[in-house]
Amino acid sequence: MDFNFIPLAFGEIVSPLTIGYALAALGLAVHFGFTGLLNFGQAGFMAVGGYAFAITTVKFGWPLGWALVATVVGAVLFALLLGIPTLRLRADYLSIVTIAAAEIVRYTVKTPSISQYTGGSDGINGASRDFYAMNPLPDIQYGFGVLTYNNNQLWSILVGWTVVIIAAVLVWQLMRSPWGRVIKGIREDEDAVRSLGKNVTWYKMQSLILGGVLGGLGTVLIIIPTSLQPDNYGTQTTFFLYTIVLLGGATTVLGPIIGSIIFWVVLQLSDGILTLLVNNHLLPLSSVQQGPIRFIIVGIALMLLVIFRPQGIFGKKREAHFSG
Amino acid sequence: MVTALRSRPRVIRLFVVVLALMFAATAFAFSTVDSASAQSLSSAKSSAPTVDTTPTPAPGSTAPTTAAQSIGIWIRIAADKSNVPNAKVTVTGPSGFSTTVVSGADGRATVPIEKTGTYKVLLDKSTIPAGLSVLGDNPRDVQVDAENQGVPAYYLLGDGAAGATPAPGKTSSPSTSSGNTPTFAEVVFPRIATGLIYGLLIALASIGVSLIYGTTGLNNFAHGELVTFGGLVGYVVSGVMHMPSWLGILSALVFGGIFGYLQDLGLWKPLRKRGIGLIPLMIVSIGLSLALRYIFNFIFGPDLLVTPSDSSSFLTLGPVHLRFWDVVSPIICIVVLLLVAFAMLRTRIGKATRAVADNRSLAAATGINVERVIRIVWVAGGALAGLSGALIGYYQPVSWETGASILLLIFAAVTLGGFGSAFGALVGSLIIGLLIDLSTSYGFIPSNLKLVAALAVMIVILLFRPQGILGRKDRIG
Repeated sequence: MDFNFIPLAFGEIVSPLTIGYALAALGLAVHFGFTGLLNFGQAGFMAVGGYAFAITTVKFGWPLGWALVATVVGAVLFALLLGIPTLRLRADYLSIVTIAAAEIVRYTVKTPSISQYTGGSDGINGASRDFYAMNPLPDIQYGFGVLTYNNNQLWSILVGWTVVIIAAVLVWQLMRSPWGRVIKGIREDEDAVRSLGKNVTWYKMQSLILGGVLGGLGTVLIIIPTSLQPDNYGTQTTFFLYTIVLLGGATTVLGPIIGSIIFWVVLQLSDGILTLLVNNHLLPLSSVQQGPIRFIIVGIALMLLVIFRPQGIFGKKREAHFSG
Repeated sequence: MVTALRSRPRVIRLFVVVLALMFAATAFAFSTVDSASAQSLSSAKSSAPTVDTTPTPAPGSTAPTTAAQSIGIWIRIAADKSNVPNAKVTVTGPSGFSTTVVSGADGRATVPIEKTGTYKVLLDKSTIPAGLSVLGDNPRDVQVDAENQGVPAYYLLGDGAAGATPAPGKTSSPSTSSGNTPTFAEVVFPRIATGLIYGLLIALASIGVSLIYGTTGLNNFAHGELVTFGGLVGYVVSGVMHMPSWLGILSALVFGGIFGYLQDLGLWKPLRKRGIGLIPLMIVSIGLSLALRYIFNFIFGPDLLVTPSDSSSFLTLGPVHLRFWDVVSPIICIVVLLLVAFAMLRTRIGKATRAVADNRSLAAATGINVERVIRIVWVAGGALAGLSGALIGYYQPVSWETGASILLLIFAAVTLGGFGSAFGALVGSLIIGLLIDLSTSYGFIPSNLKLVAALAVMIVILLFRPQGILGRKDRIG
């Protein structure tokens, strides 16, 4: 029996997906955990940010800095587009509009008539050009055992985690500031905050923008070492992010990050155990049937988390009732 | 469940039995016609073959090719649907593309296509069995867009006059008079017809969403999976077990109701008792949706599943060609919707439902058993969604994610019509159905963006009239 999957699963701690999802989940925590916005379209923010970055880098040849500006602008515009019609309405309208908008983005980028820019269903490769050119690390193999990385992979990991830590500190400080107290006040009692003369809709919009930009930047961290695929940003991505956020604690800064690590390590471990059992004929499954199992696990885990531990690992129970 | 049935026998039994009886009656009247063809596999796998301009990849017919696109050719005899081997087909296209293939033992052949564009498919008449002629156009033009695998070019052979029966598949689009530009009516009327049919199918599911929202406040993101469930029940009963289709549809209705009942009993009722807020409940529903969707994938695999049905033209109204199920499904939908309307307006339980939707506490104070009403709404919502799914199975192939893609249309319809209003859901569904099909005519927008049009309209409606067409303003708060 091959137990290599165990170290490989722990290698997920530094995988692009874990890093990118940590940042996007942090953005979702700003929306859902801190402000109480029910954003079911974080995948849409991720897709908009990722496409803004990849198209400007690969198709227009913009340098890294300007491509990042385009990412931020794309996410901000998407937030404004979604926020203006829905933020004055009740929470469930935002949820429906965001989930619909995320699907609109996914369908649109797959349209054949604009595939010269978006790459159609194939997505876009090669957004890493400038990023790898800046790599100061010598070109040797790093790591040990089955976990080895070349200099470019290590460079993405180091920069990725640095970005996540900077974003976490930023969100943490913001939530301790007067602005953060208003945001948390909106989650607890919107009318009370409004009666204090605060423009609740505008505060919600700011929160939507902040979380959306974090989602867009999360995709950039994912697609630099890998590639951009439109179908990676379907509704299941948003549901994964909710599982991550609720696992770690939606009302905390550390929760989404630790949640992302636990989520991907556990998912890889369960995949590895399944493969082991199937390959040794201990489970009567075909390899096609193996694929859906991780989604079933995530779906059930999400339900159980919300019902039995809505505050997650790090959260406080009294902050996690999400009355809406 | 048994105790619950015993304690509330009248209402549940009445609701299910009335729906079921009415259903059996309507469906049985038609069952003789189509059960004869139940064994044959539908060749028309794309939605609404008479008008659809979107070549949908046909399941099973797509041999894996390395090319990004391919045309799937399938030659059969119309009378007994037997496959015709060794027929020669020539495909010519842009930039001098020309290739000849011979159909295999299953009557199929796949032509890999590197470049998108319009291809001319010509079936060599000298290679088909003697005494038979090609029904429909020959040669015919096939439009291949990017990533289209197995664009259908299906031929039916018969001994009648050529063109008497429109051949199924995309190639029998209303412009049967090939060469001429289709008139306005030829383009628009078939789309209005399919749009209304699809709208009615969505309406069945939307009413459930709207009622559940009205009585419990929950936006059920797992409602699409109830639709998928119905479609899969219909497929298993009619497609796998080869039972007559009325039985498949009836089973989808009954099992859909049972599924809705069990969901309420096992999940939503305990959660209501725990006093969990609406936002956590919505997250529970997305978790449930994800789990159920992939459980369906686990059991049925990732492929499209085709419920066998007769795909030949059943009714022709001017430029509109309708298949058998394109006529029967809307009739079933309308009858069921009228029945629901009658139940909502005239029966005690319908009045109680509206009272709960209006003001839950007041309804409870006047002696209405709110929990019972909610349970009945779940059963009815599940049954209607199941019925919708089974009928959708006759309109287009179902798969494990059918419901997930329809869910957003359902929400668009319900938002458009007004949350919590059953009649608004119907109006919204018809508008969404029409919009989907009309928006792609004359190439206003690319056909793969037709869902986008519906969702964009929903967002625009929220900007200007957030309560929807028939909704009440105090709900949007």
